[in-house]
Amino acid sequence: MKHAEKELIAIKEEVSRMWTLVLSQLEKAKQAFFNNDVEQAREVVSREKRVNTFELKIDSDCENYIALYNPVAIDLRLVLSLIKISYTLERIGDFAEGIARHIVEDSCDAVTESLKDELELAVMFDTVIEMLSDSFTALDSENTRLSGKILAKDERIDAIYRNAIRKLAVYLRKEPAQIECGLKTMLILRKIERIGDHCSNIVEEIVFYIDAKVLKHKKNREPAA
Amino acid sequence: MNKRTSQRIAFGIFRILGISVVGILVGILGFIVYHGVGAVSWEFLTTAPSDGMTAGGIFPAIVGTLCLVAGSLTIAVPLGVMSAIYTTEYAGNGRVIRLIRIMTNNLSGIPSIIFGLFGMALFVNRLGFGDSILAGSCTLGLLVLPVVIRTTEEALKAIPDAFRTGSLALGATRLQTVGRILLPAAFPNIITGLILSVGRVAGETAPILFTVAAYFLPRLPESVFDQVMALPYHLYVIVTSGTDLEAARPVAYGTALVLIVLVLFMNLLASFFRKILDAKKG
Amino acid sequence: MIEAKNIDFYYGDFHALKNISMKMEAHTVTAFIGPSGCGKSTFLRLFNRMNDLIDATRLTGECRIDGADIYHKSVDVDELRKKVGMVFQKPNPFPKSVFENVAYGLRVGGMTDKNRIRQRVEAALTGAALWDEVKDKLKKSAFELSGGQQQRLCIARALAISPAILLMDEPASALDPVSTSKIEDLIHVLKKEYTLVIVTHNMQQAARVSDKTGFFMLGELVEFSDTKKMFLNPEKEETQNYLTGRFG
Repeated sequence: MKHAEKELIAIKEEVSRMWTLVLSQLEKAKQAFFNNDVEQAREVVSREKRVNTFELKIDSDCENYIALYNPVAIDLRLVLSLIKISYTLERIGDFAEGIARHIVEDSCDAVTESLKDELELAVMFDTVIEMLSDSFTALDSENTRLSGKILAKDERIDAIYRNAIRKLAVYLRKEPAQIECGLKTMLILRKIERIGDHCSNIVEEIVFYIDAKVLKHKKNREPAA
Repeated sequence: MNKRTSQRIAFGIFRILGISVVGILVGILGFIVYHGVGAVSWEFLTTAPSDGMTAGGIFPAIVGTLCLVAGSLTIAVPLGVMSAIYTTEYAGNGRVIRLIRIMTNNLSGIPSIIFGLFGMALFVNRLGFGDSILAGSCTLGLLVLPVVIRTTEEALKAIPDAFRTGSLALGATRLQTVGRILLPAAFPNIITGLILSVGRVAGETAPILFTVAAYFLPRLPESVFDQVMALPYHLYVIVTSGTDLEAARPVAYGTALVLIVLVLFMNLLASFFRKILDAKKG
Repeated sequence: MIEAKNIDFYYGDFHALKNISMKMEAHTVTAFIGPSGCGKSTFLRLFNRMNDLIDATRLTGECRIDGADIYHKSVDVDELRKKVGMVFQKPNPFPKSVFENVAYGLRVGGMTDKNRIRQRVEAALTGAALWDEVKDKLKKSAFELSGGQQQRLCIARALAISPAILLMDEPASALDPVSTSKIEDLIHVLKKEYTLVIVTHNMQQAARVSDKTGFFMLGELVEFSDTKKMFLNPEKEETQNYLTGRFG
């Protein structure tokens, strides 16, 4: 294997480790949310720094790689998408931390299990976690077959999100005293929905890297593969 | 014996041999200068021989040699340069060209007396030039032709191909390339060939023996069909078959000295010319 | 416009170019890349018929410049070469003065008017971005210039006879980075007036200077596409492997 290739693989492995970390942040945030586990939420908040460190490290590795090896073709596409993926992972990490912070600051008793069920929060959480882990599999196996499925999941999250907002509004009309808790819940919903969007971006980067197709901002995002 | 000692001994031997070669050359020159310098005077250089060639000068022989050098080069240089251009620049590397090369090399190995004989048969008798500067120059010209061809060929081959392709790529024809790029670039090396030729022509006795040289002719030539005296032949004559060999001895050394100086002078002139050309080209 | 159609080329028994077809538009820079011995230089030399100088070569196929078959019997090769200039890998100025080097093409073309020659030489040296550096040493030997200047002198020499096309055979491979970037800048400028075809074994150079790139391997044109596309997303596996250094 060429030296330049080894360098690139090292960066890719670094991104994988970051991915694993962000995935676990997301899972922990979910558990903390459903169990109202403040300790776990604190852990997520404190581990956010590590996510940031990963991003800085990967950024500088990619800059060095471009400066020293002048990558072209598939190498260039990989390094460009790794930069964007690490940036996006960092944003997802931020959202996980944000969710955890809501739990640390104030647990809303008003958000009952039944309301969580009604808003399909668990489904949303699980779906974005699946998206993130599926996109990881896609990059790891250099296969874009999963991309269509992942992008479809994002549409589903968007649908659930719109639905949940409506249901939340109905609930708050009935219980106007819970407006503060309701707004916080809405922020959490919003964050999960954004995570879904970011996962889609990651998938688009992976498709750009592997198939050199630009899916971004296109109506029909279904890759032809 | 260690490596260093053996190396020292080896180079010691080389040095002794090298110095002795130079020594021999200096010895010969010194010997001739020592014996000849007394005979050389302004009169010696400007008058004809007298008193059965034991006195007087060698002026006709000097002029004769100069005529032969000029004549033979006039014949050999254009012929040799043109055929070298043909063999290196135009002809490619076919079987005929290889044959020509071999023949050229062989030609330079033929003893000069054979050239003399051939020159007599062809130029003197068959073409009816008689014993003349023309016949002698032709014979000497043939003799040095291989030298001129070889050196011109080497000079042309030494020119980087980049000059040729560069010129052709600008739309120059092959002839323009030869005339404007290759010959000017090769000229200094061609002059080296001329220097060798001058030495050879001025010094040869055998080829002029039957074709031009006069035993005694105390006047200057008037046309190319005249006979002339020549320095090497004159030297031969006064050493071997003069009227009074002993009396002519100083004249012989003087003649030898003049011949050497003449050749040396022409060489210096040519290399001076070459330096000027080199400097001009930078 | 340069057009090659089904070109096959042989050195003796060696099949150097295999069925190559390609079109190059006017006022574009086309780069040929590929491993040594892939045929890119041979292909370049077809267009000013420099391959004619080599014995025992054979060509089939069509080679057209602005529609005219340049291998037709009626074509005067010397005239063709005045229209299709060439710059070589190693700077090869003639052993003449700076001025005479540039004037050479004009003189062999039969121009004798001193004023016109002077004008054309100045224009060519200006065009090759060399005038300011050599205007005080026109009488000096071309060998006194630096390597990079010599190469630009060779470009000026080619420009002096107003070609339509300029072929460059690895024009910067013998030069240092500063001289190289000067040559590359020059290529961008020359594009406005000339059609350029450049062979280079420096891929980044091809990426920097060319509009289109042809990738050659083992005598075949593997891929020919827009340079941007080729360097971001080559179509063929072989191109990808070569560009990313995974070749062989």
